[in-house]
Parts: sequence; structure tokens; C-alpha cells
Amino acid sequence: MVEDSRPSWENPMQFVLACVSYAVGLGNVWRFPYLCQMHGGGGFLIPYLIMLVVEGLPLFYLELAIGQHMRQGSIGAWSAINPYLGGVGIASVVVSIFLTIYYNVINAWSFWYIFHSFQGTLPWVECPLSSNLTTYVPECEKSSSTDYFWYRETLNISSSIEDHGGIQMGQALCLVLSWMVVYLCVLRGTEATGKVVYFTATFPYLVMIIYLIRGATLHGALNGLKYMFTPKVDPKAWIDAATQILFSLGLGCGSLIAFASYNHHNNNFEKQAIVVSLINSGTSIFASLVTFSIYGFKATFNYESCLDRMQLLLINTFDLTEDSIKTDHLDDWISHLNASFPDKFATISSQIEGCDLKSELDTAVEGTGLAFIVYSEAIKNMGLSQLWSVLYFSMLLMLGIGSMLGNVAAIITPLRDSAFLTRHFQKETLTGMICLFCCLVGLSFTTRSGNYWFSIFNDYAATFSLLFIVLIEIITVCYVYGLKKFEKDIELMIGHRPHWYWKITWSVISPFLIIGLFIFFIADYIMNGTPTYQAWDSDLGKTVTKEYPPFAQVVIGLLLVTSMICVPLVALITFIKKKKEQAKESKRSTKVC
Amino acid sequence: MLARVLLALSLVPALALALCQPDGQDAYKVRLSIKTALGANAYEWNESEQFLFRATLAFAMRKYTGQETFNVSSVIVCNETPRVSFWFVVTNPNDTTTLIPKNGVEEAIRLSRNRINSAFLLSDKTLQFVGIPPTLAPPSQPSLPVWLIVFGVVMGIVTAGILALIISGFIQRKKKEKTIEDEEEKQERIMENGISFETLEGKDGVNNGAYSHDEDRLTQL
Repeated sequence: MVEDSRPSWENPMQFVLACVSYAVGLGNVWRFPYLCQMHGGGGFLIPYLIMLVVEGLPLFYLELAIGQHMRQGSIGAWSAINPYLGGVGIASVVVSIFLTIYYNVINAWSFWYIFHSFQGTLPWVECPLSSNLTTYVPECEKSSSTDYFWYRETLNISSSIEDHGGIQMGQALCLVLSWMVVYLCVLRGTEATGKVVYFTATFPYLVMIIYLIRGATLHGALNGLKYMFTPKVDPKAWIDAATQILFSLGLGCGSLIAFASYNHHNNNFEKQAIVVSLINSGTSIFASLVTFSIYGFKATFNYESCLDRMQLLLINTFDLTEDSIKTDHLDDWISHLNASFPDKFATISSQIEGCDLKSELDTAVEGTGLAFIVYSEAIKNMGLSQLWSVLYFSMLLMLGIGSMLGNVAAIITPLRDSAFLTRHFQKETLTGMICLFCCLVGLSFTTRSGNYWFSIFNDYAATFSLLFIVLIEIITVCYVYGLKKFEKDIELMIGHRPHWYWKITWSVISPFLIIGLFIFFIADYIMNGTPTYQAWDSDLGKTVTKEYPPFAQVVIGLLLVTSMICVPLVALITFIKKKKEQAKESKRSTKVC
Repeated sequence: MLARVLLALSLVPALALALCQPDGQDAYKVRLSIKTALGANAYEWNESEQFLFRATLAFAMRKYTGQETFNVSSVIVCNETPRVSFWFVVTNPNDTTTLIPKNGVEEAIRLSRNRINSAFLLSDKTLQFVGIPPTLAPPSQPSLPVWLIVFGVVMGIVTAGILALIISGFIQRKKKEKTIEDEEEKQERIMENGISFETLEGKDGVNNGAYSHDEDRLTQL
């Protein structure tokens, strides 16, 4: 068999690092620690590891096998497996397009925070002053300086999704820059991407190690770590574990198929699949350790500030000497003063806060809230904050860019496989056009209501549709293409048949799990009624829950439908084409006679 | 006569005390947090420190009004607590029974706040005049926001990179096209002779991919 001129990775290490860079993304840093906190550390790790072995690993193995065997992007690969199910490949590409459009906005935010870290005092440390220079801006006082910097100065968020405001110049510039960086990395194709991933895959680990060392030495870090490992019993942990594994490994988007298509035919992807999946989960756990030490530090800091505030309030109201009240005996003092001077105490009773370390730790945050608000709050209280800030947001940037490279590859690889497009366009032009298109559409996320649209895309574009795609994938390979045929293909590639464990998980366990998740998602949606979102109220200085207006719900529906409908649509079109061909054949055969 | 003078003298402090009332209309409460501000270097609050306070306040009044008639005796202090907080009033130097109104005192303090703070090695937060908010220092605004400068640098580097890659790719392709053209010319010359024997001579031989093996059957990780 003659080797065709398909570009390939310079060495297998680049392929592994590309997969790691793609799979290890922001979800490992901002979703996994949240889930750990919700379900109580130890209580979540067990379902997570079980799901990894039973669901994540087999599916990862499957996608790599398909890509490496078919040597084409997702559209070509699935069409080759079965012409009726070529729609799966197209659905993957559609989901990847949605993903690339909204994901790069996160990189724009990372850039924004990095650029703003080059200042004497970080801009989110203090509230800005109102015009008469005597008080702080009310919105900032009601919430906090970090909230204010995120919602007002970065996003300039409007109060609801209907109120779209204009494009924010700062955000737009950062988004354009992010797209230019992505274009720079994918411009020359896989060869250039192979070199970039050496950096994007390893830099985040360097930062995490530095942060772990620093975090462990912060005051109060142990409180956070202790909290992480206290389990809470929760049946929903299993469902969250299953969905987290699926989305964290980036299955169903076509990126893994695209990456694997550039491998040599005999590349030992079995070992690589196991290695990458383990690295991905290991990174999630590692990132949780870092996040929880930071949580512990922040919670302890807030708790001690609360105690100091109460102490000050008491000595000011009752005119006691400064060091008379020790913060350890605060509760005793409060009861004593309440009993001795009830009238005076009544005047300040509304200001008395119950300082509780556990409630500080209980505030579980995920997503952009964790990354941009909680972390920046912790950073502002660390010494040398500018350095820590730059390190942390650069890490976020590298994680985001690494995932973006995979997403863009999932779109470009199938398009480059098409002979029509390659004949008419140079690869740089094709890549450039895709990046330009996604950038222009992505500008809509830089408007004042952009963050609400971002949440819609984040929650709906690549969740339910991916479950559907992965389910169709696994059923196609096991039952339509045939497990025996698939086994033979793998034997040709790596020299031995897959172990019976893989066969069982592919044919029985994983489809069963995914169908279960599917049913759960649908039931959840039906039970919860109209979907809601968190809108920022500038007068109250906090988020309020609002329902999505009809046009937003239509967009949600479209996001789900446009990707999933490709599968039946293509099946139908292929069926009609085949019928037409059959009719032509029978006409021709009658003519010959 | 002497008795009347004595009576009058004893009435003065009584009057002074009567003028200085906590929660009075023109009275201000002051709160000092010396231990918080100075820690180990904290000084004792005593009569002399009190004297300094009254003198500083008299100075502030002098500066604000421009009248040099204000004296330490114009400032009356009462209700001292171990917190180190007390109330004070400022009497009119021309008529010691009337008080300077509240906003006058406030403006005077605002004007010389820095001087008053430094006299006691304290800050706006640790020397509090209850009711007079501290004037907060506005953050320095550079002419061009710093972030734009960093953005410009990064954007420049990325643009240069993109242009470099595009141009080098373009040049590479042009070179490849040229070498292909040369090879084609060579091929044509050989073909024109029409003798297949010479085609084998002219080229290095055909590489049959079916017999080429990869270095390893299984590529190592």
C-alpha cells in the first residue's frame, strides 16, 4: 500500500501532546473543582474514576481508532464507514463551529485580564471613586471590587438579554487578537500546530505546580483542602461524573478523529488513548488541589476580615480599649454585651454578621465566576499580585488556545479533505476564511448582553447534541459497521485485537450509560420548565434569576436541532440518491437488452 | 469681690463643659485607633497628647478662617473613653459662649486633614472624625491606558508572525513549482527520445511503496 501525501505529525509525541492540549482545557480547571465541592471531594472522585474507566476510555479509544484507520476528517470518515450515517460527521462539524465561535471569547477575557495586570495596583483591588471623590461607586460597594471589574469594566453587562447595547471596544480588540493567535498556530497546518502544542500542553502544568507550592503555603489553605476531602452523599454525583468525563475528553466533536487522521497507520494509539485519558483526569484532580487551597485561603481571609469588622464594631459602639476584645472570644463578648447593654446593642444588632468559615467555603462557584472573580479576589490578597495574576491568566489562555486548536482542526480537516475546496483555495486562505467568519460572528459575544448569549452557547451548543452524536457513533461502529470488522481494522493497525474489555464496553456498557444520560437530560429539561439565566442587576449589585425570552429559547432550540438534524437528513438524502441510481441502473439494463 | 471672681472662675469650666455635649449640634466625635495603626510603637494617650490635638485643631481653624485669634483654649474636649474617643467643640474666639457651626469645623478639618493625621502618625482610617468622610485619593490615570500598550505590543508580534508564515509559505510554494517545472522539462526531453531504456537511465528509479517499511512496525510512544 503506497503512503499517500497526507501531512503527518513529526513524531508521535506531538500527537499525544496535541490530544492532551485539546482535552485538558478550561473545564478541568473550572468545572471539575466545582463538582468536587458540590458532591464533596471523596464522594465525587469514586464515580468519576469509575466513569473514566467504563465510559471515557473506551470512547476515546474508539474515536482515535476511526481517525487513524480512515485517515480523513470526521465527514469523510463517517461517510466511509457507512454512507447513510455520514451525517454524524457533519453534525460534529456543526457542533465544532458553534464551539469555536463562542469558546474564543474566553481567550479574549484572559487576554484582557493579562493586559490589565501590568499596573502598579491591579484594577480589581479597589473600587473606583464616584464623581465627588468622597465615596465609592455604589454598584461596586454593594457587590465587591472584583465583581465590579468583571461585570462593569470588563463586560459592561446589561441588565437582561434583551438589552443588547453596543460592541465593547476593549473586548472586540481582545477577541480579534485571540483569533489572530489561533490563525497563527493553525495557518501552516498540522506541522506547525505540532510545534505549538509542546508549549500549550506543558505551560499550564508549570503554572499549576507553582500555584500549588504557593497555595499550600498560604494562610488557610489547609481549611480548603480539608473541605475538599469531606464527602457528601449525593446520587446526582454519578450523573455529573458521567457528563463531566464525556465533555472533558472532548468526544464527539471530530477533533480527535482529525488529529488521529494525521497519524501513521501503525501508530500504537491504544497506549496513547489510555495515557491521554489518564493525564486528563489526573490534571482535573491536580487542578482541584490548587483551586481548593486558593478557596481555603480566600475563605479564611474573608472569615478573619469578618471577625475583625465585628471586633471594630463592638469596640467602637461600646468605647472599649482597642485590644480588649480578642477575636477568638467574639461570641462570648457579643452575648455579654447584649445582656449588659441591651438598648445600645439593639442599635447595632442589624450590623452584626455571623462569621462562619464553613459558609464561606460553601460558596461553590464554577465557570467564568470561578476563574475570573474568585481567583482574582484571592490573587489580590497575595503578595506580588501582578506576577501571580499574569501567571494565572496566561495559564487560562494556554488551556483555552490548546482546546481551540483542536476545535479548529475539527472544522478544517474535513474541509481540506474535500478535493473541490483544495483545488480552488490555498490552505492558508481556507483557514483564514474560517477564522474570519468565526471572528465576525463571535463579535456578537462582545456586546453588552454578550455574556448571556455566551451562557446559552456554553450550556446548550455542545452538551445534548454531543451526547446524541456520541451515541450514534458508538451504535454505528458496533452494530452497523460491525464489531468484528472494527476489530480486524484495529488488528491491522496495532497488531493485536482489542481486549474483550473494550468490546464489552463498546457494545453494551457505554451505549447503556449514554442512553441513561440522554433520558436524564430530557427529563430534567421537561421538569424544570422555562430555562432561566443569571442576570446582573447593577442596582442591587448581584445576580438575579430571569427567564429566557422567547427569541432566546428559539435560539436554544436551533442550536440543538441544527446539529442533530444532520444525521437523519443525510441518511434521507443518501437514501433518495441511492434510489435514483437504482432507477437509472434498471433503465440502463433494460436498454442494453 | 474675691468671692465673685472665684465664682466666675469656677463657672468657666462648668460653662465649657456645658458647651461640649456629646451628640450636640456642633460637636464632633473623634476616634483614634493608635494600637491598630502603630502596633508595638503605639504611644500612650494622655493629657499632653490631648493638648497636641487641641492645638492641631486650633491650627486647622486658623488656617481655614485666616483669623489668628484661635487658641488651644478655643477647643473644648469632653467624654473621653478608654477606646480613645472623645467629643469636641470649637468656640468662637471673639465670643467664648458661642460655637463655630458644624460645617465650618468640617471644612477646616478637611482642609488640614493631612497635617492633623501626620501630627499623630495616623491615617484617615485610624484617626476618624465621625461624620466627616475621608477624601479618597483618586487613582492615577495615565494618559494612555497601560493595557493598550501591552495589547499593541502583542498584536504587533502576532501580525508579524502571521505575515512571516504566509510569505515564507508563498515562497516555498513558488520554489516547489519551479522545481516541478524543471523536472517536467527534464522528463519531456527524455520522453522525446522515445526510448524507454533512456527513461530508466535518466531517473533514479521508481520507489515502490509496497516494499517500503516504516522504521518500526509499531511506533513507540
